[in-house]
Amino acid sequence: MTAFITAAATIGEFRAGGTDLSERRRSGRSTGPLVDLTGLPGLAEITPTPDGGVRIGALVTVEQMARDLSGYPALAATAAALATPEIRAVATVGGNLLQHTRCTYYRNPAFSCVKSGGDGCPARTGVAHHGVADDRGPCVAPHPSSIGMALLTYDAVVEVSGGPARTVAALFGDGSDGTRDHQLGDREILTAIVLPPPLPGERGAYERATSRRFAEWPLVEAVARISVTEGRITTVRVGVGGVAPVPLRLVGVESLLLDGAPDGPLAAAAAAATDGLRPLPHTAYKLPLLRAVVLDVLHRALTGPDQDAAGAPRP
Amino acid sequence: MKVGAMKVEINGESREIDDDAETAVELIRDGLGLTGTKLVCGGGVCGACTVHLDGRPVASCLLPATALDGHALTTVEGLGSTPEHPFQRAMMAHDGLQCGFCTPGFVMAGSAFHDRWRAENPGARPDREQVTAALSGHLCRCGAYEGIIAALQGACAGEFDEPAGAPPRVEAAAKVTGSARYTVDVTVPGMLHGLIVRSQRAHARVDRVDLVAALAAPGVSAAVDLLGEDRTVRYHGQPIAAIAASTPATARAALAVVAVGYTDLPAALDVTGAEGAPVVYTDKAQRKAAPSSAEGPPPLPTWWDGNVRGPATISLRGRRAVRMLDAAAERADPGYLAATFRTAAQAHTALEPHATLADWRADGTLTLHASTQAVAHLRDAVAARWKLDARQVHVVAEHVGGGFGAKTAMTTDTVAAVELSRAAGAPVRVVLDRAEELIDGGSRPGTRTELRMLTDGDRLTALALDTYGDGGVSIGSQVAALGAFGYGRGPRRLRDFDVVTNIAPSCPFRGPGGAPFAWAVEQGVDELAHRRGEDPIALRRRWDGNRKRHALYDTASALPRWRNRGPAASGTGRFRRGVGVAAANWFYFLDGDTRVALTVRGGRLLARCAVQDMGTGSRTVIATAVGEQFAGVDVDVEIGNSDGPHGPMSGGSRTTPSIAPAAVAAARLLREQLRQRVGGTAAGADGVRTASGVRAWPEVLTTCEGALVTGERGRDRGGFLVPFLSMDHMRIGRGMSGSVQVTEVEVDTLLGMTRVLRVWSGLAVGRIWVPRLARNQAEGSVIQGVGFALYEQRLHDPNTGEILTSNLEDYRIPGIGDTPEIDVHFYEQGWEHVPGGGIGLGEVATIAVAASVGNAVHHATGWRPTELPIRPDRVLEGLAR
Repeated sequence: MTAFITAAATIGEFRAGGTDLSERRRSGRSTGPLVDLTGLPGLAEITPTPDGGVRIGALVTVEQMARDLSGYPALAATAAALATPEIRAVATVGGNLLQHTRCTYYRNPAFSCVKSGGDGCPARTGVAHHGVADDRGPCVAPHPSSIGMALLTYDAVVEVSGGPARTVAALFGDGSDGTRDHQLGDREILTAIVLPPPLPGERGAYERATSRRFAEWPLVEAVARISVTEGRITTVRVGVGGVAPVPLRLVGVESLLLDGAPDGPLAAAAAAATDGLRPLPHTAYKLPLLRAVVLDVLHRALTGPDQDAAGAPRP
Repeated sequence: MKVGAMKVEINGESREIDDDAETAVELIRDGLGLTGTKLVCGGGVCGACTVHLDGRPVASCLLPATALDGHALTTVEGLGSTPEHPFQRAMMAHDGLQCGFCTPGFVMAGSAFHDRWRAENPGARPDREQVTAALSGHLCRCGAYEGIIAALQGACAGEFDEPAGAPPRVEAAAKVTGSARYTVDVTVPGMLHGLIVRSQRAHARVDRVDLVAALAAPGVSAAVDLLGEDRTVRYHGQPIAAIAASTPATARAALAVVAVGYTDLPAALDVTGAEGAPVVYTDKAQRKAAPSSAEGPPPLPTWWDGNVRGPATISLRGRRAVRMLDAAAERADPGYLAATFRTAAQAHTALEPHATLADWRADGTLTLHASTQAVAHLRDAVAARWKLDARQVHVVAEHVGGGFGAKTAMTTDTVAAVELSRAAGAPVRVVLDRAEELIDGGSRPGTRTELRMLTDGDRLTALALDTYGDGGVSIGSQVAALGAFGYGRGPRRLRDFDVVTNIAPSCPFRGPGGAPFAWAVEQGVDELAHRRGEDPIALRRRWDGNRKRHALYDTASALPRWRNRGPAASGTGRFRRGVGVAAANWFYFLDGDTRVALTVRGGRLLARCAVQDMGTGSRTVIATAVGEQFAGVDVDVEIGNSDGPHGPMSGGSRTTPSIAPAAVAAARLLREQLRQRVGGTAAGADGVRTASGVRAWPEVLTTCEGALVTGERGRDRGGFLVPFLSMDHMRIGRGMSGSVQVTEVEVDTLLGMTRVLRVWSGLAVGRIWVPRLARNQAEGSVIQGVGFALYEQRLHDPNTGEILTSNLEDYRIPGIGDTPEIDVHFYEQGWEHVPGGGIGLGEVATIAVAASVGNAVHHATGWRPTELPIRPDRVLEGLAR
């Protein structure tokens, strides 16, 4: 505990794997002193919890998550699909949740915006092709955390040193606060994510829409968890990213599928993925794309093998 | 942040490190001097900086230096000074490299994958999917991916456990071990670090550049003004001044205190609003000074109307062409087509940035280490600019980490380094960062082409092209003019316009104008064939009089993938496949003044030429050309130094047809000289015939130490196209090269992603000097064409003119997972008038690729893309129509 108190009391920005922060040091979005968290004890392990779930330390790497969470296929697939092997080897789950937006304006020192301490959003009148498909606040950059999106579908709880535990949804808020990418307090340290036990026979699928095959931030992404009991969908969870300033869970889509037959009309449910979304002028294309990605993950989570029409394995 | 003393095991040796570097890559390169590790993107995207941390590959540009404490670090140097790892050997044997700048990063990732794979899957061969996923954190701008994939598969299968024979590329060992030295790796004692102050305005008069505070900052030795006499900046990011300081950190600190006073001028930031927009160039002198993105002859002189330059018109009965097209449109002729095609600006973004180390000595000599495609030309340009005798200037470029046209002229890094070195009286190195590289380090201009064409079936009856180039402050897009060189001699009007804006300039990029030309015309030809229900290759064959390309059409038509391709848009599933074809031609340039010196040294031959190697294989071409004349002899090649005999610029596909004949000429001269020395009767490739039999060359050489000759490139049979025209040593030869691409794509109609699955690339460039290297360059040309077709797009902010795609995350070049399977077919006849029988291929091999992708997408889906890149959103929008 002392180590956490010492870290929290040290002036500076917290650093874990550094894969986001090092880039921000170069682009001028982090200039002050740094406090390394990598020495903090007990945070680099995945441990079982008494109820059959797992506790994932904040310093567990994305690579570990992809490899060691076979009971959580949707989460493991999400972790395996992001960034590159070199990044996944050192990037931490805590850092992934708390990373800053990849908005090209935010990362360019020539611009100022509400997120970098200034006013307004230059993307609104500029190039916002990669912006949100649901305009919720002053910032139009989608949230970058794919893992945060996946965790939303698990009722995961994050443990915090220096503050109360909270849900992942509470960690991110509703997306109306354009000044920050998460709602963790200044000197709070995210220490772990606690997952409930997997569902019996649960299946998962993850997909991202990109231009290139690998290593590209998604235009939109989606994850689905489904369990089927006696010919009925007994649990279904759908999360999406690239859509809003925070990761979203699509309760509306879920409710259309729940208790239905697994060979029921998926497209009608997927069509509800964009209900109520307010795209920007340049992101209307994301609406059909989002419906398509949701349809794809639902289909794959229900039919099982991660294969495309041509039989080739999908990333 | 002070790191404090750390204990790190570096390449097997325990070290105590005390360094204030923030990231591991700075510690490794600057602190430890281990320059095999390269810094390219600084964002974990390209993998050039990959090292092993406790045996696992990580990106050292993002790794905090503190993360090394208590751990084992292995850099490429740690794998051994000779290529000992099976993957290194495999990379050499499969030629999985060109410029070599990304190679150490690939070697580190691939060696780690190899070791793990062999431990877990002994005897097994990983599939393409597995190796591309493992290497997905790496980018190679030359596009040597095919060789890399084959190398990793072969090494994992145990095919390279023993040293292989000599690699196809002579400098491969230096590149796979990280010992090849690039300009960014060169340091000299007392060297200062230079940085460039850039404009924060798109258009402004600069009233004041205050360098006093910067000069007073600790460690700062010099500050110079770089702005022209009109004291005007015309794009966001334009160089204004430069400073030199003892360390990169002190230079950065000083940069922040340079005060620039601007008076804003209204800026033209949008080509579509250029009419009535603020004028970029207000007088003749300014227009004359506008940079150009053209290659070869300078852009034709023409007039200006505000920001619109042109048209520069080339016509063959142009008025008749327009009359025919108007009449055909009027009567709705089924052979008439009108369409608009757009291309995006494509950045060169060679992985080694522009860099110059200038050392201007008190004795008047000026030595430059520069990442340049033209050591000899740069020497002359520098001498002219600073009024020096060319003999006082020495330009060195031992290895060049890619260029693609962006390093042919004198660039800002060189100007700044020379000025700073003169001012400081010390050597100064200026290295552009990735953002600078992507802002004004080079791009192909964007274009809009209004295409109109008419056919009666048998031939192209009439053609009109109006192209509007979008090269920011630069001119010379020269697209429509290329319509003069193909598909018969029917009437045509070809007009090129440039629309200048207050955006960063373009410069020549691999086949300038050719790729946008093909994107429009080759899709037009395809569309007409489609409407006529005719095979697009058969139609081209009828229209195209080029005999060399006819040979390519014949081979392409016989490909099973072409013969079995079926009707357009016949698929119904989510993933739809299609096959498209496109053709191109390109000019044959050469440097007729090229000379190669050849001398006997230590029983071996040493060839010298003031050429350079940016990855295309100049060393290997010279070694091969000489070696063919001297069986059994080892040939050393010294290039990359302007002190050598005159050599060509590596641009305009002119390198090989310039250096290879000169090398052969030198070898023949030397053979004759040696024959006389030993009193032989004749000389052949095997040796000298004497009365007592044939004396083999290795033995003859031991008796002729120091013999020296210089071979000259000489003329082509029948002379050159324009006999008396030599532009900065460049000549235009007779004949045009040809290419035909047959491309298969798969379109994901659900998510809008287009993948190129297979490309057949037929090239008619005559005799191939070094087949494996030529194939590698052709494969890379295809991959750059795929990037142009599907991903690459330079974007700027419409309000400020700032380039937004200023990192390799936002500016997307093809990765290894996007590599199609590529067959390269060489048709080697038709260039018998050229000494050696072959010409260059780097440009003609890339020009038609994007158009073949567009035609394949049309064949797959029935939707014809007209705007590049073919992004997912455009695909979905197009399919929804």
